[in-house]
Order: sequence, then C-alpha cells, then structure tokens
Amino acid sequence: MSVWVYGEQKSELGLEGTITRKLEEDLYEVFIGPQHPGSGHMRIIIRIDGDIIVEADPDMGYVHRTMEKLSEGREWIKNVPLFERMAIHDACNVTVSYVMALERILGIEPPPRAKYLRTLLCEINRIAAHLYGFGIFGVFIGHSTMYMWSFADREVMVELAEKLTGARLTHSYPIPGGARRDMPQDFPQAARKAVRYFRRRLDEYRKIFLDNPVTRKRLEGVGIIPKKIAAELGVVGPVARASGIKYDARLAEPYDAYDEVEFEVPVYEEGDALARAWVKFEEIKQSLRIIEQAVDWLEKHPREAPIHERFWAKAPPLWKKVFEAEGRVKLLPLMANLKLPPGRAMARSETARGEIVYYVESDGKTTPYRVRIVSPSARNAIVFKYIAPGYKVMDLPTIYGSIDYFPPEADR
Amino acid sequence: MPAKPVVKRLPARKGLFAGFKGNVDAITIGLKYLVDPKRFTLIYPNEYIKLDPGYRGFIVLDPKKCIHCSSCARICPAAAMRMIKRMEEDPKTGKPKMKLWPVINYQRCIFCGYCVDVCPTEALYTVPYHDIVYENMAEMDWSLETFVKPPEHPTAKEGIPVKYIVDEEKGLVKVRAEEVEEK
Repeated sequence: MSVWVYGEQKSELGLEGTITRKLEEDLYEVFIGPQHPGSGHMRIIIRIDGDIIVEADPDMGYVHRTMEKLSEGREWIKNVPLFERMAIHDACNVTVSYVMALERILGIEPPPRAKYLRTLLCEINRIAAHLYGFGIFGVFIGHSTMYMWSFADREVMVELAEKLTGARLTHSYPIPGGARRDMPQDFPQAARKAVRYFRRRLDEYRKIFLDNPVTRKRLEGVGIIPKKIAAELGVVGPVARASGIKYDARLAEPYDAYDEVEFEVPVYEEGDALARAWVKFEEIKQSLRIIEQAVDWLEKHPREAPIHERFWAKAPPLWKKVFEAEGRVKLLPLMANLKLPPGRAMARSETARGEIVYYVESDGKTTPYRVRIVSPSARNAIVFKYIAPGYKVMDLPTIYGSIDYFPPEADR
Repeated sequence: MPAKPVVKRLPARKGLFAGFKGNVDAITIGLKYLVDPKRFTLIYPNEYIKLDPGYRGFIVLDPKKCIHCSSCARICPAAAMRMIKRMEEDPKTGKPKMKLWPVINYQRCIFCGYCVDVCPTEALYTVPYHDIVYENMAEMDWSLETFVKPPEHPTAKEGIPVKYIVDEEKGLVKVRAEEVEEK
C-alpha cells in the first residue's frame, strides 16, 4: 500500500483512457459531501487507511450553471449581474475584470474617479470575503467564536457597500466606462470609522484565533504546499502567496487605481494552513489602507460623473440633475443594446480567493460570441487531490478551510 | 505608486510559557465579551431597519412620467420587466389608441436597478424597503394597477424604525431612526 504523494501520482496522468484500479482491502472509501456541512456543494471522495488519507478525489460540478454559455445569449451589460452570481459576497472583484475586457474592446478608459470608486468597492468586498472565509474556516475547525465574530464584523463592510451601491451583496456596480454611483456625502466618515474599528478589532482576532495555541496546533504544519509544487499546480491567490510565490494580479498588471495607491502584498514562505490564514489576515490590513487612500482621494477631487465621456457627454439635462441630487449615474438607453466592435480581449483581476481571468470575444453583435472564465477556486481545487493525502481525516476541514474553496465560483 | 510584495514570517512561539500566554490572551478576550457583549440583533418585526433613500428596494412606476419607450424591458437582465398593450383614449383626439406599459414580475426581479437608471424620464423609482410577503407566486407578478402605487409596507405600521450606524468602538450599533435623523 502506498501513500499517494505528488511525485507518484504524476506518472499516472498519461492519456491512456480510463484508469481503473483495484481498491485495496483494508482501505475505506469515505464520501465527504455533497450534503456534508463541512464541504458546501462539492464532494471529496477520500480513501483512508486507518486515520490517514491515502487518496483524495475532489468531485466538483454540483452547482454548475453553464454560465459561459448563458452569457452568449445575453446583451453585454446584462452579463454583469449574471457573473456576479459566481461569488455574490465578492461581487465587484469578480465582475470588474469582465467590464475591463469590454472596455478594452470598446477602446475606452474609465475616468480616474470611476477607477477609485471601483477600487474602493473591490477592497470592501475583499475584506468581506476574507471575513466570510475566516468564519467558515473557524467553524470547520470547531472555533465557533470566530464564525460569530467574523460574520458580525462582515456586516460592517456589507453596510458600507450598501451605502455606496444601494445593495448589500449583488451590487452590479461596474459598467462599461465607469461605475454606477458616486459615494454619498456621509460615506467617508463611516468608512474611516470602520477602518479604525477594524484596526483595533484585528488585534483581538489574532489573540483569539491565530495566536490561540489550540488553533495553532491544528493549523501549523498541515497541508504544506512547497513553493515549487505550488507553482506546478498553478494555484493562485492567498494559497500561492502563502507558499512564497510573489504573485498577485494587482501586482502583475495593476488595473483600476491599484497603480496609484500604496499597499503591500503579504507573502509567507511556510506554505501551511497557518500561513494561508496569516496571508488573509495581513491582506485585510492592506485593504484597510487602500480604503483610506481611496476615500481621501475621492473627497479631495471634485464630484463629477464617474463614467466615460462617450456615455455622458450627450446625456440629457435630467441625467446631470439626477447625478447632482442623488449621485446616481443614469444609463443611456443605448446601454441595453450596446454593440461592441469585433475583437477579443482578456482581463484579469484579483478576487479575494485569487486571480480571475476573462477572455471575451465579440463578433460585432449585441451579445458576446464567447466568454471564457477561469475562476480562482477552480484552480485551487487541485490542492485537495495532491496535498490532502498523507494527512489525517481530521486535517481535511483545515485544508479545505485554509484554501477557502468556494464551489459556486469554481463550478460557475 | 505600485504595490510591493513583502515577505513576512509567522510569529515565532518561543519560550516555556508561550502556549500559556496564548491561552490566557484568548480566554481574557473571551471573558471580556462575556461580560460586555457586542450584540446588535434586530428584533424583527417589532423593530425594522429604516433603510437609506438610495437603497434598491421594490421598483414602482409613476404613470404620469412614463413615455412608453420600453427601455426598462430591454435592459432587464432577468426578463422581469415586460411591456403590455393597453387600449387607451388619446387625450388630444379622443380616439382609442394602443399604448405600451411596463409591468414587473417579482418572481424574477433581481433588484439590480438597471431599469431605474435607464428610464429616460425617471418614471421608475425604488422604495427603500424589501420585506413584503406574498401568499402565492401569482401575486408577485404585478399588474399595471399594482405597479403604479408603492406597495404596502406592513412592518412599518407595527415596528419601531431603527438604523445601524458604523461605530468606532463597537463596529455596528443599533439606534432609533429618530436619533440619527436629529443629528
């Protein structure tokens, strides 16, 4: 009987048809999911020898909604609310790159104010998504205090997003050429208060969760992904950065206002579950910095419509009146049947779980010819197969929680 | 100023009493919130959140402003908005004339607010509440008569309006809506 480690498994990946293998007699096959409380809508089939995982097989696709095909039947702008459904608590991050791809085909660049507004919402979403991840992670390993705390504190960020966009979760905020609303007058004050609150609160998070000896014992040295293997598996986001890979879409190809704001990309070299938790923890701190800078910038600069001239210059007076009164950017009726010139574009952005890539192809019609999405969770799911073997069954929730796998985003 | 990657190290656990200190810290924080809990539970429906005017709640039509252009139905990503034909008397000529009116199906609506933003005359507006219960699905498919007036908000009749405000010390705090509006 052999433990299926990375090197051995790789040799069996030849394209020789279906591989069938005889299950050894003393191995138990355990199906974790799809209704298991610890797995969400996915199933991991594990084979165990005693308490040690010998083989793990992630079985994805329970929430597949044919999103790429659905998008081909919808007008360009209607796909924004559709793609949001991949990760509704990270809505701006997952849709901003689709909108950027459209802007590249149209050949327009949003005004700086729109860029800052999008960046602001992206970072609010990132904190909310990381706290969501922390909550799920906490309850996976039996730390229900962390679950309660982070879901309560996530509400602060959701409240800010609601002030900014008018919706708690599915904001549908970015549109080709800009953003849909300017921030309300009382927003900067609330945002600064929230930032100061989080700075103090994160210290308590560290004490009760990350530095708690009970938690540390369960996370330290579990699910180690060495740097070389992380690169070969192609993992992204906090999983890659916890293994010492200095990669972030905001770093590799700064989009929106990320080349103007100052922030760090935390990288850890240990590669275990604890390092992945710390990457997310440090990222929340950096996101707070970005929120502060974005709010300062937006306050200093004059309030003007955060949308490209093409959709604003010829707008009727009512459009300007509504913007001044409510800060709402009205859309021109042409947005519904927007025609993009033939062309193809690619765009990527950094969501809370890693890099999301859109490939958009237009053949000059009002609907896309093809939209290809590569979502971060789909790329990180491979960790189950190669990293989980060799650890105890009890460690599987730790590995699952630490890579922050999100089924709807992976299956799309 | 572009971002820069910074390699960090996990905090080391050194010394004989490292684990002890960690336990004491965690228990102290736990005890602190046991004595002084940070709760903001909404006692619904005795209380309800009074949402800001910009909130994207139920969408209502102002028939006086509508110019029957179908923009809202065209932009709706969920196909919730559709146009229906009505025979109406033309005020100028007095003859019956076919007109298009939008109606909304709240079984499908995703509250993205595109229709409100695209309306060329601001004939569509949102009301800042969303907690309306229907007894059956058919009721959610609104007729034009229902669509032209704001829906009844039953919780507002019985409940106390509260607001959640961001606080530096406690994160979110629940306060009476009147107190916020006074400021």
